[in-house]
Amino acid sequence: MKNTTIKNLFARQEMILLLILVAYSVFVGIMNPAFFRASTIFDILKGSAGPLLLALGTLVVMISGGVDVSSTAVAIVSGYVSIRTMMALGIDNVVLAFMISILMGVLLGAFNGLVIHRFELPTLIATLGTQNIFVGAMATFIGTTFISSRIMPESLVELGRGALVRVEVGGGEVGLTVNIIPVIVLVIVTWFILNRTMVGRSVFALGSDKLSARRAGLNLFRVRMFVYMYAGGLAGVMGVVYAANTRSFNPLSLVGDELNVIAAVVLGGARLTGGVGTVLGTVLGVAIITVLQQTLVLIGLSSSWNQFFVGVIILVSVGVTSYRTQKANRKNLTFITVQ
Amino acid sequence: MQQPVLDVRSVSKSFTGVQALNAVDFTVHPGEVHCLAGENGSGKSTLIKCVTGTETIDSGSIILEGSEYHGVTPSIAMDHGIQVIYQDLALFPNLSVAENIAFISLLNRKTTLVSPDDCSDIAKIAMERLRARLNLDAIVENLSMADKQQVAICRALALNARLIFMDEPTTALTRHEIDNLLATIDDLRSHGIAVVFVSHKLDEVFQIADNIAVLRDGKKVGDFPNEEIDEKKLTFYMTGKEVASKTFERTHVDTQPVLQIEHLSRTDHYSDVSLHIEPGEVVGLIGPLGAGRTELALSIFGLNPPDEGEIHFAGKRVSINSPDDAKRLGIGLVPEDRHGQGLFARLPVGSNITASIVSRLRRGLRIKPEDISARGLDLMKRFRVRENALAEAVQNLSGGNQQRVVLGRWVAIDPKLLILDSPTVGIDVASKSEIHHHVQDLAQRGIAILMISDEVPEVYHNCNRILFMRDGRIQAEIDPTASSENELRELVEGRTTV
Repeated sequence: MKNTTIKNLFARQEMILLLILVAYSVFVGIMNPAFFRASTIFDILKGSAGPLLLALGTLVVMISGGVDVSSTAVAIVSGYVSIRTMMALGIDNVVLAFMISILMGVLLGAFNGLVIHRFELPTLIATLGTQNIFVGAMATFIGTTFISSRIMPESLVELGRGALVRVEVGGGEVGLTVNIIPVIVLVIVTWFILNRTMVGRSVFALGSDKLSARRAGLNLFRVRMFVYMYAGGLAGVMGVVYAANTRSFNPLSLVGDELNVIAAVVLGGARLTGGVGTVLGTVLGVAIITVLQQTLVLIGLSSSWNQFFVGVIILVSVGVTSYRTQKANRKNLTFITVQ
Repeated sequence: MQQPVLDVRSVSKSFTGVQALNAVDFTVHPGEVHCLAGENGSGKSTLIKCVTGTETIDSGSIILEGSEYHGVTPSIAMDHGIQVIYQDLALFPNLSVAENIAFISLLNRKTTLVSPDDCSDIAKIAMERLRARLNLDAIVENLSMADKQQVAICRALALNARLIFMDEPTTALTRHEIDNLLATIDDLRSHGIAVVFVSHKLDEVFQIADNIAVLRDGKKVGDFPNEEIDEKKLTFYMTGKEVASKTFERTHVDTQPVLQIEHLSRTDHYSDVSLHIEPGEVVGLIGPLGAGRTELALSIFGLNPPDEGEIHFAGKRVSINSPDDAKRLGIGLVPEDRHGQGLFARLPVGSNITASIVSRLRRGLRIKPEDISARGLDLMKRFRVRENALAEAVQNLSGGNQQRVVLGRWVAIDPKLLILDSPTVGIDVASKSEIHHHVQDLAQRGIAILMISDEVPEVYHNCNRILFMRDGRIQAEIDPTASSENELRELVEGRTTV
């Protein structure tokens, strides 16, 4: 009995990820003790905050059976609209920044949901289209002027500087960004929605089998709208967090990174075909990719190795799971793995 | 007499000129198992759809527990405890057993929050009524077909079902699983729940039904208590003609075996299997779930390499490592899972039926569509596949036509040995006898045939030798001319020992 519990624990993708993360951290720590400095750890947490927000939205979409490549575009457009509005109104308030950005994100998400539901489009193609529409509309109607730290609203710069804890390190002081608070809250909220609410379970049901969901009397429109508006709202939060973290805002950045976000979510065990995925897995997926990106320098490799290792980790971890399924299928005389 | 749960009165329904239902009456009482028999296209599915509200009716009325409706909606049907278990079961493969059972109930309660305990509470109550033993936390996609069906039945019970339609529930089940399902239906009956059982398999129909209604071309042609009708009469009502089933007689005699297997073993699948098949023979392979029949067949076809033993083909020792090797030797396999393994569902019939001979149709680098059509039509004619279907996606054809396409594809390679794995699963009576006819004909032309089946009458009437397999071993060889069908049945069902 106990044996099978342990075996089941190891069969879970999360466990594999945790082992990879710990093993890699120990390895880096031995190679370069600088890894265990507060400044490194704070940097990693700061660096993963934004991607994790997008990853949570991407996770919800993926569980519902979709793939959203517009998440970065929604974040950039929402953040930019929010900052420009504040600048235009001359109001410098962090709460307003979040409100505008989230509202914008939810609206763009609703647009995604409407397009996908109304025309029954493959989500990848639909969001590829909306990604371009969102960025294109922003560039045309608002512009793409770079917002430097000099003209950035002071409240956002303050948010970026804000620290939960400060630690003295060799004369200087490093702080843990306050931005991890909204991220932690949203991780918990997302977990709660997915696992403890009817709408969350409906997302799983829809991603598990669309026809069954319809036959069960599920209102697919409502579920889909929730999925894309929620993902949009998370991207809206990300827009402001991103501005605060960089203390400047380049509206032509970020878009293009959405595949890394999807990779992190898939790495976390979510299935591209829907119905399967966990918040914990996504957190670990993002953590691994961020840790890797920020520590290669510490072990003496140039940052150009980033992509290479991210690719290897994705293939290995997803490959292990797939190989297991294949072996199980062979036992049942099924010779093709339907992913 | 009790008030009926369902009383369909003179219901008609037509789709763009086709009269799908023509003044059909159909009554079901609580605790009654009423079978709905009929060929494909006879109107069974349309009747279910009208009763459950997914189709509107043109005329007539439907009375549910005493309330009369001229248009049933899905929510009215559900309020009256009508549940359908579709052939594909409509479950959520990635969710747990408990959640699958409870999901719709929770949805109907319009709750916002839900905890795993809510699900298991609902699931436990439903499972207790059925005395089902399922692991509540198991993920449904990892369950066997029979367990999935239990989940679907429990879900219907959780929704307070008073009448359950089961659409071809036994198609994907083995004999043992079917027995369990029939026992479950018996259980439902004793709880006062009515079941409408739609099936092609007449032996099951007779085993479980209280009453049997027969539909043909949208009309109800008869409705009989079980005792008053036999298989022959039922077949006549369903098809409108006498279906003669001919018993196989071997005419092509050649004692040089095509296939000879010696002491073949594969761990966990089968062990020490020796058999031989001569040209012109139809050898039946029958046995319970897990006997290793399909596993053995796949080994002969190069998909499941054996660990030990020898395979001789046409007098030479061979090792068959892929379906391509098998094909080159002249071995064809009609697989058990027609949809998943036998057909390219969305491709046209012409491409499907010529799929085995693409390399022969190739001229230089290209394959001419005319060649595919010409060769395809040839084969379709020979196997009596609806001829206007050449360019139609094979998934739109009836089960019988589909199976003849698979059969035709393998006959196209001029095989020396054909392995038929459950060739008539899910196929209606008339098509079934036609497939048997083809099989006998192929044998008479000198092809050796290995026929795997769950059905005793099928092997008894179509084989000249029958091998009984159990626990991975061949236990006995039966000569159908020397023993009765009943003796074979008792052996297969484990009532007598070898």
